[in-house]
Amino acid sequence: MSSLTELGKAIVDLNEEQVYSLVKQKIEAGEAPLDILKECNDGMGQIGKLFEAEEYFLSELIMSGEILKGVMKELEPLLGESDMETSSEGKVIIGTVKDDIHDIGKNIVVTLLKGTGFEVIDLGVDVPADSFVQSIKETGAKVVGLSALLNFTFPQMKAVVDAIEAAGLRDQVKIIIGGAPCNAEVRQYTGADYYAKDAAAGVKICKEIYGTK
Amino acid sequence: MSEDTKKIYEERLGRYQAAIALEPVDRIPIAVGSNYFAEVYSGNTNQETIYDPEKWLKAEEEFVRAFPEIDVLRNNRIYAPMLDAVGCRTYKLPGRDLPPRSQFQFVEDEYMKPDEYDVIINDPMEFMMDRWLPRVLGELSQENTARAKMALIKGGMAQVMMGEVMKNRALHLQNKFGMPQPMQGFFLAPFDVLADTLRGLRGILLDLYRHADKVQEACDVLVDEMVNLALATADPLKRYPIFVPTHKACFLSPKQFEQFYWPSFKKTMEKLIDAGYTIRAYLEGNWGAHWKHFLELPKGKVLCDIDTQGDIFKAKKEIGHHQCLAGGIPDTMFILNTPEEMREHVKMLCETVAKDGGIIINGGCQIPYDTKPENYRAMIDAVIEYGTYDTSIKPTPKDNSQSGIKVIEPKMLTPWEVKKEELGGVQGDEDLIRSSWEMFEKMGYAWVWQWVL
Repeated sequence: MSSLTELGKAIVDLNEEQVYSLVKQKIEAGEAPLDILKECNDGMGQIGKLFEAEEYFLSELIMSGEILKGVMKELEPLLGESDMETSSEGKVIIGTVKDDIHDIGKNIVVTLLKGTGFEVIDLGVDVPADSFVQSIKETGAKVVGLSALLNFTFPQMKAVVDAIEAAGLRDQVKIIIGGAPCNAEVRQYTGADYYAKDAAAGVKICKEIYGTK
Repeated sequence: MSEDTKKIYEERLGRYQAAIALEPVDRIPIAVGSNYFAEVYSGNTNQETIYDPEKWLKAEEEFVRAFPEIDVLRNNRIYAPMLDAVGCRTYKLPGRDLPPRSQFQFVEDEYMKPDEYDVIINDPMEFMMDRWLPRVLGELSQENTARAKMALIKGGMAQVMMGEVMKNRALHLQNKFGMPQPMQGFFLAPFDVLADTLRGLRGILLDLYRHADKVQEACDVLVDEMVNLALATADPLKRYPIFVPTHKACFLSPKQFEQFYWPSFKKTMEKLIDAGYTIRAYLEGNWGAHWKHFLELPKGKVLCDIDTQGDIFKAKKEIGHHQCLAGGIPDTMFILNTPEEMREHVKMLCETVAKDGGIIINGGCQIPYDTKPENYRAMIDAVIEYGTYDTSIKPTPKDNSQSGIKVIEPKMLTPWEVKKEELGGVQGDEDLIRSSWEMFEKMGYAWVWQWVL
């Protein structure tokens, strides 16, 4: 936390007004937009850590995302196209499986993954098995995350794993399942590689897979 | 009801009520609140269950015959034609928006803007009627059109039909099978009213930072609305607990919970308990950081369902001496495990958390749709084998009909006194006119608020 700048700290404290006024000052002072963004992202990284430590909860994640959105509104017009291409820790495909339209849990994971530097391909909710297969082909991602809230979607999770197998892509990807009703037995039933008991665990598994511990 | 049926009804109800009150029972009641499995046990599609009351009843009859050991069976659920009549946007339904064999699902959206807190605080009913209903009920969205007015008429008629269907089915289960209800009537924690169908989760969490005072004020205003809804839909004989699902507490930090969620929720429950009722609360998600607050309510008045994400052992230790708990079996065990594993698990629960009573062994707030019948059978057999305490205890129901220290007057938009003044008095028996006027006022009032669930 000590390495954070005043702006980074204001992000961690979720002090919306202070963040916006600091960003404005910095822009007016002619600081590079990319440097300003980095200060903010360092704050976001810290928020992810506090979430993992169960000191921060969902509202802090959502509020920080909202503040960052406000910051980006100011910075985006100043950023060049090349600035927008940031280096990534790796690509992760994620979606809520077919017949389930819940996205709170999935969105928490997406926020944390992005905060950790992963590039996330979010397929949304009610995602058919084919869409996961298609996305693996298009992006070459090594990790697929399957989310569900409802316990009747276990067969849908299995269907995704089977479809990836049938497409001959099973060796290229690791499959993680998560969501309220999941546990080790569900993992076994679906044939996935990992079960993540919460969002932070999911991010840890992604780091392991990409060797970015 | 035959004498035999009456006897078994009273035994079941007495057992259930005693467990909730933390009194000695002959055995652990088999008393799930939401038995999804029962709704489709006969082979019904989920669509048939929510669209065709006859098919639903058949499913329940078949279920009761197959598992006569159960102590309660729920009947108050979604009646899809009513949602269609008004174009309710908060649910996706099997057979309509989803495959016929999938589960109905709640759809969240922002139906109240952050600058509307003062409107709901100043006049909740006006907010609901003028702003919220036309947004949530699609058929009402073109305000002041014939179609919108027709939708309200249809919605009122559907409500009466649904009330009849539900009442008759409950009576049928009671009179033919001696089967009590696990709960009757419903409400939400005031914070969940805001967080579910008004602001949505994202909206409310941002409001905690930007409009904290208004959130608290709105929660306080919603206490009496939820008490009113609960009492309007509850069992007049007070035999069954009133149901409250809790949706958003699991997303709050302990500090946020204590500031925003608990005070108004507690007040709502206290008023219902004072009115002579018990409550069945689904502690959805992991309530581990929050459930200690149930110690603040009177003992044995709130049956707390512990979800699969919660730790039943921790719950037992922390609040089990003060409120009855339900849960202990992970949902997946009904779907993926074997009868032997179920038996072992139930045995373990009976020998540990359930050893001294105060627990209803159950799934996490539900029995899943995809439950294997042999696993459900194994659960029942194991509960009876390992969860019988003392067969000399003969369960008998409590007479709660006169209990309660406070009478709460029901809410009405246009009270009789106002109407009477407009009429300039009446010439005959005023009570004859008044009672029906008030009955429809109360029904209409509850109709409006039921859509928050």
